[in-house]
Amino acid sequence: MSVKKNVQQAARQLYKLSFVDGRLTQEQVAGVLAYVEKTKPADSLALLKAYQRLIAAEVARNQAVVEHAGSVSPETLQSVASSLSKTYQRPITATARPNPALLAGLRVRVGDDVYENSLASQLSQLGSNV
Amino acid sequence: MSTVLEQIEQQIAKLQNKAVKKNTGTIRAVADGVARIDGLSDVMYNEMVQFPGGTIGIALNLEEDSVGCVVLGDVSHLKEGDEVQTTGRLLSVPVGKALLGRSVDALGNPVDGKGPIDAKESFPVERIAPGIIARKSVTQPLFTGIMAIDSMIPIGRGQRELIIGDRGTGKTAIAIDTILNQAKINRVGLASGDPKFRPVYSIYVAIGQKSSNVVRTIATLEAGGALEYTIIVAATAADNPANQYLAPYSGAAMGEWFMENGMDALIVYDDLSKHAVAYRQISLILKRPSGREAYPGDVFYLHSRLLERAARLDGKGSLTALPIIETLAGDVSAYIPTNVISITDGQIFLETDLFNQGTRPAVSVGLSVSRVGSSAQIKATKQVGGKLKGELAQFRELAAFAQFGSDLDAKTKSQLERGGRIVELFKQPNANPLPIEQQVVTLWAIQKGYYDSIELKRVNSAAVSIRDFFATRKDALLTKIRTKAALDAELEAEIKSAMDEWKANFAG
Repeated sequence: MSVKKNVQQAARQLYKLSFVDGRLTQEQVAGVLAYVEKTKPADSLALLKAYQRLIAAEVARNQAVVEHAGSVSPETLQSVASSLSKTYQRPITATARPNPALLAGLRVRVGDDVYENSLASQLSQLGSNV
Repeated sequence: MSTVLEQIEQQIAKLQNKAVKKNTGTIRAVADGVARIDGLSDVMYNEMVQFPGGTIGIALNLEEDSVGCVVLGDVSHLKEGDEVQTTGRLLSVPVGKALLGRSVDALGNPVDGKGPIDAKESFPVERIAPGIIARKSVTQPLFTGIMAIDSMIPIGRGQRELIIGDRGTGKTAIAIDTILNQAKINRVGLASGDPKFRPVYSIYVAIGQKSSNVVRTIATLEAGGALEYTIIVAATAADNPANQYLAPYSGAAMGEWFMENGMDALIVYDDLSKHAVAYRQISLILKRPSGREAYPGDVFYLHSRLLERAARLDGKGSLTALPIIETLAGDVSAYIPTNVISITDGQIFLETDLFNQGTRPAVSVGLSVSRVGSSAQIKATKQVGGKLKGELAQFRELAAFAQFGSDLDAKTKSQLERGGRIVELFKQPNANPLPIEQQVVTLWAIQKGYYDSIELKRVNSAAVSIRDFFATRKDALLTKIRTKAALDAELEAEIKSAMDEWKANFAG
């Protein structure tokens, strides 16, 4: 359930090694994975899981997942990406993911932040207020 | 029906057609009322977070890549991977007079089955205590109705007086009697129509107690007509530790409302030992480093920030705190007792031995003290009871010495006899608080030696008889004592003639 302190520290160390000039690179991550495979540290499964969680959080920070109920044009995605890049002052790419449960509108997730403008959320807000 | 539709339309119109930003996280683990959450990068310390199903939690541990939250409510439906979102708000509870006469939980939700509470305002549970400039020194009395306390360890409005003792020594009884006495005084004061009269509203916070005990307390307050002036905040032993941890802060927020709005309030924390235990439990689950007796390092701050919120404010009202601490085998030098003793403005120490000997309330004169209360004591009580504490302390010392069976001189014998009479006089049954004017005449009688000729065993019944006599036949004199609050020659002459009249009847 909980990650050991030393494993978490080691994962954080590997996470730091995955960056070049402040940017996460595929080559560095591949290098880290090769190093772990070669050295086979204790608790390597837990280490890799902790490492994966940190990398996933970093990837999510730089990626806007645009959930939509209807269709979304590439222009809209581009507009969302540029607007978010401006807001967060870092390059953010946008990927579309259909989600019919939204009924209408969009939900954009960047890291921990969620921007929601969907009919489903407005109806649920209405439901809780009435 | 059209009104309902209009309401919905208004609500729809209110919904803004723009994106709402939320900061979210996902539950990594949940156990023992504590959730560990990944994400929530914008969360603030002590911020309320929302779990699925409307359950709320408080962010207590902000770590590099996770957040530790206590869950206030049902955790059984929460699971790994559930989304959690920040609210941007601190936890608040309803406050105001609408809560009087009601029993609420740590979040201010009614638990007495009397329907919803129509509270117009809410106060944050955690607030910074008033600063130095805003405060005023304690000068107004808060009568407990217990003669031993009002005469020897007086409490003032805005004071923090600790009630400490082993289990079953009558700690809660003192607190309940004080609440009952406030209700009694409120009724008399409000009926008199005196514009200067300031009622005292009470808040009783039950932490980690058995539900049956809380029910018994509510019944006692109801029977004594005190419930209408009292708010009960109950976080019983069945509640999770997070609620037990929060309950005193919620009660303090309710009390602060009275204080901020120019009224006086009394808050009883019953008890802070269990509160510290609940906090220790939360801290250990949150994996905070533990210190002495496994309590976390900030257990002093836990109580100091709570008790500092009790104050008397300049130009506003006051909040008097009566925290209760349970000791083990009379050990006042344990960790939590010493912490709270150092924070409060005095303590009422209750001794098991005295309790078992039948001295109830079992107040230990030597170990009890009120650091600021004497300036709040009325002159009449000072006049009749100023020397009592010293006399009683001397009596205890002599009584211990006299046990060796050596021959005693006449002076020591008289001191022992007088001390024995004072002890008898201070015996007082439960739920029977005495008005201050009755206390004054009772103590005046001992000062003038009216009990000297009475057999020791009959001293208490003589005192009861004096009080009955004054209540039934000398009500005007009692009112005069209450309003003047000091004994002048004329008043003393009147008391003397009344007392002589009583003595003639009592002896006869």
